Amino acid sequence: MFKNYLKTAWRNITGNRMVSFINLFGMTVGLTCCLLIACFVVNELSYDQFRQADNIYRVTRSFYTEKGVEYLHLASIAPAAGPLLKNDFPAVEKETRTLPLTGDIVFKYRNKIFNEQGTFFADSNFFDFFSVPVLEGNAKASLAEPFSMMVTPEIAHKYFGSEDPVNKIVQVNGQFPVKITGIFRDFPANSTFHPDILLSFSTLNDSSIYGRQKLETSWDNNAFFTYLMLPSGYPAQQLEKQFPAFLNRHAHFQGESPDYIPSKYSSLYLQKLRDIHLYSHLADEIEPNGSITAVYIFSVIALFILLIACMNYMNLATAKSLLRTKEIGVRKTLGAQRKELVFQLLSESVILAYAALIIALLLTSLLLPYLNRLADRSMSIRILAQWKIIIPVLLLPLATGFLSGIYPAFFLSSFNPVKALKGMAKYGSKTIPIRKVLVVIQFTLSIILIIATVVVFSQMRFVLHSSLGFNKDHIVTMQYNNALDNKLEAFQSELLHDRDIRSLALSSRIPSGRLLDATGIDIAAGNSIAPVNITCKYVVINSGFIPTYQIQMAEGRNFDPTQFPTDSNNLIINEAAVRLFGWKNAAEGLGKNYTYNGRKGKVIGVVKNFHFESMFQEITPVMFSLGSLKDHVFNNISIKISGDRLQSSIDDIRKTWDQFVPEVPFTYTFLDERFAKLYTAEQRQEKVFTIFACLAILIACLGLFGLSAFTISQRTKEIGIRKVLGANVRNIIILLSQDFMLLVGVASLIALPVGWIFMHRWLGVFAYHISIHWWMLLPAVVIAIIVAVVTIGVLAVRAARANPVEALRIE
Amino acid sequence: MQNNMIKISNLEKIYRTEEVETIALNKMNMEVKEGEFVAVMGPSGCGKSTLLNILGLLDDPNGGSFLFNGEEIAHYNERQRANLRKRTIGFVFQSFNLIDELTVFENVELPLIYTGVKASERKERVEAALDKMQIMHRRNHYPQQLSGGQQQRVAVARAVVNQPKLILADEPTGNLDSSNGNEVMALLTDLNDAGTTIVMVTHSEHDAKYAHRIIRMLDGQTVTESILREQL
Repeated sequence: MFKNYLKTAWRNITGNRMVSFINLFGMTVGLTCCLLIACFVVNELSYDQFRQADNIYRVTRSFYTEKGVEYLHLASIAPAAGPLLKNDFPAVEKETRTLPLTGDIVFKYRNKIFNEQGTFFADSNFFDFFSVPVLEGNAKASLAEPFSMMVTPEIAHKYFGSEDPVNKIVQVNGQFPVKITGIFRDFPANSTFHPDILLSFSTLNDSSIYGRQKLETSWDNNAFFTYLMLPSGYPAQQLEKQFPAFLNRHAHFQGESPDYIPSKYSSLYLQKLRDIHLYSHLADEIEPNGSITAVYIFSVIALFILLIACMNYMNLATAKSLLRTKEIGVRKTLGAQRKELVFQLLSESVILAYAALIIALLLTSLLLPYLNRLADRSMSIRILAQWKIIIPVLLLPLATGFLSGIYPAFFLSSFNPVKALKGMAKYGSKTIPIRKVLVVIQFTLSIILIIATVVVFSQMRFVLHSSLGFNKDHIVTMQYNNALDNKLEAFQSELLHDRDIRSLALSSRIPSGRLLDATGIDIAAGNSIAPVNITCKYVVINSGFIPTYQIQMAEGRNFDPTQFPTDSNNLIINEAAVRLFGWKNAAEGLGKNYTYNGRKGKVIGVVKNFHFESMFQEITPVMFSLGSLKDHVFNNISIKISGDRLQSSIDDIRKTWDQFVPEVPFTYTFLDERFAKLYTAEQRQEKVFTIFACLAILIACLGLFGLSAFTISQRTKEIGIRKVLGANVRNIIILLSQDFMLLVGVASLIALPVGWIFMHRWLGVFAYHISIHWWMLLPAVVIAIIVAVVTIGVLAVRAARANPVEALRIE
Repeated sequence: MQNNMIKISNLEKIYRTEEVETIALNKMNMEVKEGEFVAVMGPSGCGKSTLLNILGLLDDPNGGSFLFNGEEIAHYNERQRANLRKRTIGFVFQSFNLIDELTVFENVELPLIYTGVKASERKERVEAALDKMQIMHRRNHYPQQLSGGQQQRVAVARAVVNQPKLILADEPTGNLDSSNGNEVMALLTDLNDAGTTIVMVTHSEHDAKYAHRIIRMLDGQTVTESILREQL
C-alpha cells in the first residue's frame, strides 16, 4: 500500500512541474533558512563550554549616584575583590582573575617586533577555569612565576618560526623581559574572549608594573575580570545576597568621609559564564557579545519563510485538487477510506519536504561561509552533527510536510465520490476564504519584513550620517605610546609641517569609545551655598582636542595653557553637565568653582552637547580637564587631516612615527570607521532583514503565480465568452487581477500597524532614533503591489490575448 | 429461486439546494436476486444514476430501507460503507475513470491494495484479470495510451479483480463504438454466467437485451419491469 502511495506521490510531483517547482523551491528556501539559522542558534548557545563551565560565575560591579541611579555596570571588578571573596565565602571553591590589556602591546624578539591585541594577565589557576589544552609547559605551574608567559601556537610561530619557543626571552612594550614557559591551544571560536598571550598574574606584583599593595587593596581600578568556581547547583543568589555586607567590610579607601557606606554606591553581581555570550552587554565586555534578541528575531523570521512556503503548498495543492477529483472519486469508489486518502495525500507533501531537505542541506553547507562573514562567526555544518540537532532536523520536513499537506489532504479526501467523478466537486463556499486568508497572511508577513528592512535602513543612515555635534571625518586615531613622552613636541611640529595635517590632539579617551571614567567632585551646584559632591564622567584632554574634533563652544573658551598656566586646574563641561549641576544655562556655569582631590579651579568653558558614545547611549554629563604628559593620562592621539590626499597623509604620519618611535609598530584607525563599527550588529540585522524580505516576497509571489495560473485556467471559458461579448484586454486583466489586489490591500492594512509596532520596539534600544513616518511604510506596500501586479499581470495578459475560440473549445 | 441480494423498499433520495428541491428517488421499490443481470433504463433525470450510486454505497438515501444480502444498510456510516463496498462491489463507468497517473497494472491493482491483499497474490490476480480481458500486453501503459475499448476492458478488469458479488455498470458502452461496445457486453455476460450479479444503467435498447430483466424508471419510480430471459 505504502509503495503505491509513494508511486502516486512521485508521479504527481513529476507530473505537474510548475507546481512542484514552486513548492520544492519554497520548501527548499524555507528549510535552508531554518538550517542556517539553526547553525547560528546552536553556535550562539554553545559558547564557553569549558569543563566546569556550569559552575563558573563572573563577578560584575555596578555603580550608583547619590540618588541611587545606576550610572555604570562593569563586567570587571577591582583586583582586591577576588581573593577576598574566596577568603570570606567557603562556597567559593576557586577564584581566578584576568586583566586584558587594552590596545596594542608591543612584543619584541630579536628583530621581530609586532603589536599584539590579545594580551591578558592571568592567574596561575587560569586553566582550571578555562580548560583549553596546554600543549607545552604545565597547566598548573607555567603561569606561577613572575615574568613568565604562555602563547598560542600561532604566536609562537610568528616570533620563533620552527624554533622551540619555551625558555625564550621576549621584551614587552620596551619595559620588561618575560620568559616563555608554555604553549596553549587557541580558545575555541565560540568563546567570549580569545587570549593569544597570557602573562603571569604575579608579574603585576612588581611595583614598576602595578604593585603588590595596589593588587591587594585597590577598590577603584575595576578592570580585573574575576571568575568564581561554585559547587554544582549552588544557588548563586544566596551568595549575591551577602555581597553588600562584603563590600561594607572591605571596599573602603583612604580619605573617605566617616559616613561612607560602600554598598550604597556600588553592588556586586554574579553572572553564569554560560550566559555571558547571549545575555550580558555590560560597559566593558572583553569582546562584543551576541544577543538573545537576535537569536529570537532570526529564528522567527526563518520560521516565517518556512510558513510562507507551507502556505504555497496548501494553496497550490487545493487549487490543483480540481485536477485530481477523478482520482479521488475512483479511489473512494474502489473502497479507499478517508484516512487512507489523507495518508496518501500527506505522503506527497512529506516526500516533497524531504527532497527539499536534501537540497537544503547542500545549500546550507554552500551558504554557511556567507553567513559566517555576515555574522562574524566561524561555524561549520558539522555543528549540526549531534543527535539532539540531527533528530529535530530530520523531523523538520515531516512537520513541514504535515503542516503543508494536512489541509489539502482533508480538503481533497472530503470530496463526495459521486460528484468527484462527475467533475462537480468544485470548491465549496468555505474553501475560497481559506485560500484567500493564506494569501493575505503570506503578503502580511512579506510586507512586515519589507517594513523592517526600510526602517532598519533609515535608522542606520540616521546613526551613521546624522551630525554627532562634532566633525568625525578625516580623523586618524592612534594609540599613544609612552616612548613619545620626551619627543612629543618635536613629533607634533614635524607632523604639522605637512599641509595636509591640520591638528593633533591627546586624550584619555576618544569619541566612539565608552565613557567609563567617573569621579565625584565638590561643586557649587544649583542654588546651594556649600559645595555638594556630585559624580560625573570625565575625559582628560589637551588643548588640541576641542579644535581637532571641531566641538562647538556654547560659552567660555578652550584650554590655553600657554596663555593661562592655571588652566591645568580648570574645567570645561558639556551642556548635559550644566543640567546635572543644576544651572539654568551654560552662561551661569562659567566661573563656578569646584574642588577635586585637593585641587581647586573653575569652569572656564561649556561645550555644546555632542555624541561622544554611540547613539544607543544618551548624551551624558562630561567634564574635560587638561592633562599633562608627566601624569601618563593620555591613551590616544587624534590627528585631523585634510582628506584631500588620504593615503599620502597616512604615509606621511607613518614616516614620522617610524622616525620618532621605531620600536613601536605604527597602527591607526579612522574615527568614522570606529563609529560605524559600533553598529555592526544592527548593520548585520539590516542585511539579514533585506535578504529575508526578498526571499519572503519571492516565495509569496511564486505562490501567487501558481495560484493565479490555476484560477485563470479555470476561467478560460469565461474569458472566452467575455471576449466574444466584447471585452478588451484591459477589461480582462482588471477582471483577473482585482481579486488578488484586494488581498494584497488587506494584507497591507494588517501589516502596517503590526510592522510599525515591531519596528518601534526595535528602535527603542537606541537613545536617538528616527520616528517612523507614513512615507517609510509606503514603499513596503508599493513593492508588494508592484510585485503582485507583475506576477498576475504576466498570466493575465496571456489569458486576455488568447483567441476566444480556443478558449470556448475547451469544454 | 435464489435469495434477494438487493431489496429496496420505499427508498427516497431528495436533492436540496437553497431554492429547489429535486426528488430523485420517490419511494422506489426494487429487488435484485443473486446471479441476476438487470438493466435499468429511463430518460435523463429519471433517477437511475442516483439509484446506482445508492446501490453502490456511494451515496446514502434520505429514507426507506435498503437490504443488502438481508442486512439493513441504509444507516451505515462512511467507513462501514467503504468496507462493504470494497469487498463486494465492482464498478464500471461510462467514462472508464481510470487514474491517469497509474499504469494499467496499477489501476487494476488498486482495489486489491485497499482490501489489503498481499503483494504476491495481487500480482497473480491482476495478471489473471488482465489475461481474461485480453489486455495483458498493455499492462505497463498509461490510460491515455489506450483506445476507448481497451480502457473499458481495463476498467472491467479492475471491477472484477476483487471477485465482487455485484458489478454496477453505468452506461458501460456509452463512450464506445459498437464493436467495442459489443465486446464489453460480452465480457459482462460472461461474468454474469460465472455467477456475478450485474446491475447496469443504460440508454441502449441493444445493450439492455443482454440483461435478464429491464427495469424502466420515470420520475424516481419504477414504471415497468420486463423479463427478457428466464433464469436457469
